[in-house]
Amino acid sequence: MEISGISILSLVTIIVACLLVIALMVVNALVMVYVERKGSGFIQRRPGPYEVGPWGTIQAACDAMKLLAKELFVPANVDFFLYFLAPVLAFLPVLALFIPIPFGPFLTTLKVPDGVVLILAFAGFGLLANLLAGYASNNKYGILGAGRAVSQGVAYEIPMILALLAVVFQTGSMNLSEIVEAQGSAPWRWNFLCQPIAFFIYLVTLVAETNRAPFDLPEGESELTAGFHTEYSGMGFALFFLAEYANMLLVSFVCATFFLGGYKGPILDGFWWTFIKAYAVMWFIVWIRWTFPRVRFDQLLNINWKWLLPLSILNLWITAVVIKIV
Amino acid sequence: MSNFTFLNPFAVLDEPGTYMGDFFSNNFAKKAQAGNVILNLGPQHPSTHGVLRVIVELYGEYVLRSEPILGYLHRSHEKMAEHKTAYGFLPNMGRVDYLNAIGWNWAYTAACEQLAGIEPPERAEYLRVIAAELNRIASHLVWWGAFVLDLGAFTPILYAFDDREWICDILQRVTGSRLTMNYFRFGGVGADGDDRFFSLIREFIPLMRERLKMYKALVTDNVILRRRLEGIGPMDADLCLRYGATGPLVRAAGVPRDVRKSVPYGIYDRFDYNIPVSPVNDNFGRYWVRMEEISESLKIVEQAVERIPPGKIIVDKAPKPAWKLPPGESVYSVEGARGEICVHVISDGGKSPYRVKLRAPGFSNLSVFAEAAQGTILADAIAILGSLDLVIPEIDR
Amino acid sequence: MMTTDAWSEAFREAGALAVTRPDYKRTGLELSAHLPPESLIKAAERLYSEGFSLLFITTADFSEGFLVTYVFDSFTEHKRLALRVLAGDRKDPRVPSIAHIFQGAEWHERESYDFYGVIFEGNPNLVPILFPGDDPIPPPHPKSQEAIASIRKLGFLGEAEWAVAGWELAPEPAKPAAEAKPAAKPADKPAAEAKPADKPVAEAKPADKPAAEAKPAAEAKPADKPAAEAKPAADKSAAEAKPAADKPADGGKEGGK
Repeated sequence: MEISGISILSLVTIIVACLLVIALMVVNALVMVYVERKGSGFIQRRPGPYEVGPWGTIQAACDAMKLLAKELFVPANVDFFLYFLAPVLAFLPVLALFIPIPFGPFLTTLKVPDGVVLILAFAGFGLLANLLAGYASNNKYGILGAGRAVSQGVAYEIPMILALLAVVFQTGSMNLSEIVEAQGSAPWRWNFLCQPIAFFIYLVTLVAETNRAPFDLPEGESELTAGFHTEYSGMGFALFFLAEYANMLLVSFVCATFFLGGYKGPILDGFWWTFIKAYAVMWFIVWIRWTFPRVRFDQLLNINWKWLLPLSILNLWITAVVIKIV
Repeated sequence: MSNFTFLNPFAVLDEPGTYMGDFFSNNFAKKAQAGNVILNLGPQHPSTHGVLRVIVELYGEYVLRSEPILGYLHRSHEKMAEHKTAYGFLPNMGRVDYLNAIGWNWAYTAACEQLAGIEPPERAEYLRVIAAELNRIASHLVWWGAFVLDLGAFTPILYAFDDREWICDILQRVTGSRLTMNYFRFGGVGADGDDRFFSLIREFIPLMRERLKMYKALVTDNVILRRRLEGIGPMDADLCLRYGATGPLVRAAGVPRDVRKSVPYGIYDRFDYNIPVSPVNDNFGRYWVRMEEISESLKIVEQAVERIPPGKIIVDKAPKPAWKLPPGESVYSVEGARGEICVHVISDGGKSPYRVKLRAPGFSNLSVFAEAAQGTILADAIAILGSLDLVIPEIDR
Repeated sequence: MMTTDAWSEAFREAGALAVTRPDYKRTGLELSAHLPPESLIKAAERLYSEGFSLLFITTADFSEGFLVTYVFDSFTEHKRLALRVLAGDRKDPRVPSIAHIFQGAEWHERESYDFYGVIFEGNPNLVPILFPGDDPIPPPHPKSQEAIASIRKLGFLGEAEWAVAGWELAPEPAKPAAEAKPAAKPADKPAAEAKPADKPVAEAKPADKPAAEAKPAAEAKPADKPAAEAKPAADKSAAEAKPAADKPADGGKEGGK
């Protein structure tokens, strides 16, 4: 049976996969909160959470409970509709972004032919959510943070796209599964070695796109208190938080897929390799967050427009030429 | 239907009633240009370190004008002095500046000693120097951590507090407290250092030197940090002179002015140390001066611990709690962690001092901010604010 | 680099009423000059041109009025000098502001304004600094009638190295300055006792018409201008005030010049 070209079976698969992805996002947030806290504790020579549960493992769950139970404080004169739309808008589109990700050889929600386009198209929604949150919450810090979020997000999307495009050029496909298949099992056949510039650019932009330190300008704690989500409390804040970790997870999976060989590994291909690689990238993000100071906003844009963008265009051009020759 | 415009963050200031603020923001808004954003940083704000409030007029992210608003932590220390005996006012000195309690201890005690002509014994002088220099290191460490936190790096402040813990442990042995230390007495100090006190210091000095190397590698040489500091917020000597700024600010401006060298009080003339003077007067100059001062203070402590003589720690017939200051006036300056701490005591010979003026270095240093931050980006203004090393209780007194 | 003697001479030229040289070992001050309000700006400008910086301003309440002490120190050498101005009128204490010379003075002046209600004329932003602005409270620091001390009785300013005749803040048991005292006494003392607070103001008023005219004009205009306008006026009045001060005490001329 088919409904407009999609079989019922694959529809059920999609629904089940989406539910699993939601579960993954929530569990990931809990895990990452714990990893981030323990990790920062390790970096800062302190124990981190250790009180709640064995080694403090239930700490993140307790925090989630606290956020659920907290009052949803709405400041005066906010734009009511947009104020509540923004956190939902931040969280939901990330779901769609996981559709084309090949977690394992068979563990893919939908093998979309143009998976890259889908990811890049939906990635802009997070930005819109940040803008709406800052704009609707009737706060000057919020509006400054929203302005920063938009100019930063728009700027860094371009080199990110160009970096991914270099891999697409090389593979000749926009299908993520095919990109993984094109890379071999051995680590030296992964794309990060034959596309080092693209890999570097992607690593920089993924930090900026997820608004994480040292590029967390939209939140810029020291000058903008919390930037676009200053006025959000309770679950409003929790959704932004969840979206941040979901975004981190997404860019890490994309990184694993494009540059680190996806589910392929030296031994025994499978989804575990995707997860190991993605979480290694996540740890990298956590690591630099607790090490570097924040850049200034004009420096942030300068890095992008003056260095990353020309570099990514150059890289794309070289890739195109090399492919034409080979 | 958006009611966003009802309380417009971009309030057009020449329309009456559109801008709702308190006295100070309205006073500030009088000179604002229409269409600019007036942003209130503080009194509760992550980078104002306590309850400082700064009102800024922003054009985009550029700071056109700014005005620090003080007084959220005013505790009337000066008026309190007029109601207590000279001796009874001593504990207040630990509370004026919680990070540099010993500096204030020294300034007030020495001002009264100068007026009464009391000379503390040799060992007490050494103990004073040790306590003051350790306290300076602790204060600079906290500043360092908090300043780098302002620049967005969270980790260094925990390293700094880790080291400061040592100093707290050391000073706790003689002062009895870890924060609001009340160690100095008229004519000496409150307690003698025991063996553990000195052995802890001897352990601490090499450890701290190792840590300073690590800080240099991890933080000072970080390219992002350098870019955030170099060339930002230049303050030349004339600016410092006009505003009466002192301490690391003037030394970063190239003026080798340190009260420890220019008017060697106590026994500072007996030690071998340098006054770091920065060739650049920007944020990095101030950063560098303070980091160098930590190692110079370590030198002083090292020498003092080596040379400390045995003997009394307080003069015989030291002033009792009911002691009356002789009539007259006395001005005494010491080099605190933030600059020149000056205490002006006026006495009419009565039970309590007639007038005590506390000259807080942070007060004058902060007044530079409005001029220094003009035309910078908001993030740079925050960096300049952090580079001044503000401790709000000291400024508000 | 000016010696303490040179500073003593400089303050005298600026129109000081008296210059005292306190014991540095005991007070931490090398030189202290008591100025009439109108010559404060001139002295401050002189200090600025020699590279001095304002450390702080102490205001203290005495029965003669509010004694405002400006303590200066040099960046290049250590020399702590004090300028003192007596704001005699307790109901309306006024002192010219030096915030246009030393911008840092603005906050110190505002603090004095908070604590004592001393009005610093020409301060660009004379609003409370440590106290709430919208809920003004009366200045808390003035002393009660029982606690208040007298500058003269206390001998607070010390023996004058040099003073105009009939300097009303001279310490009471003035022994070394004995030759100046009897001359000043018959003419000056009754007036001083009758209204000790108003005296400098009362004396200055008839003499300095240009200064009196300059002031209302100065208040109407923006902050920077009055300083420039008031300067010549203040100089002139200071120059004119001296003979006026000498007049009642005929014998005091050797002190005047």
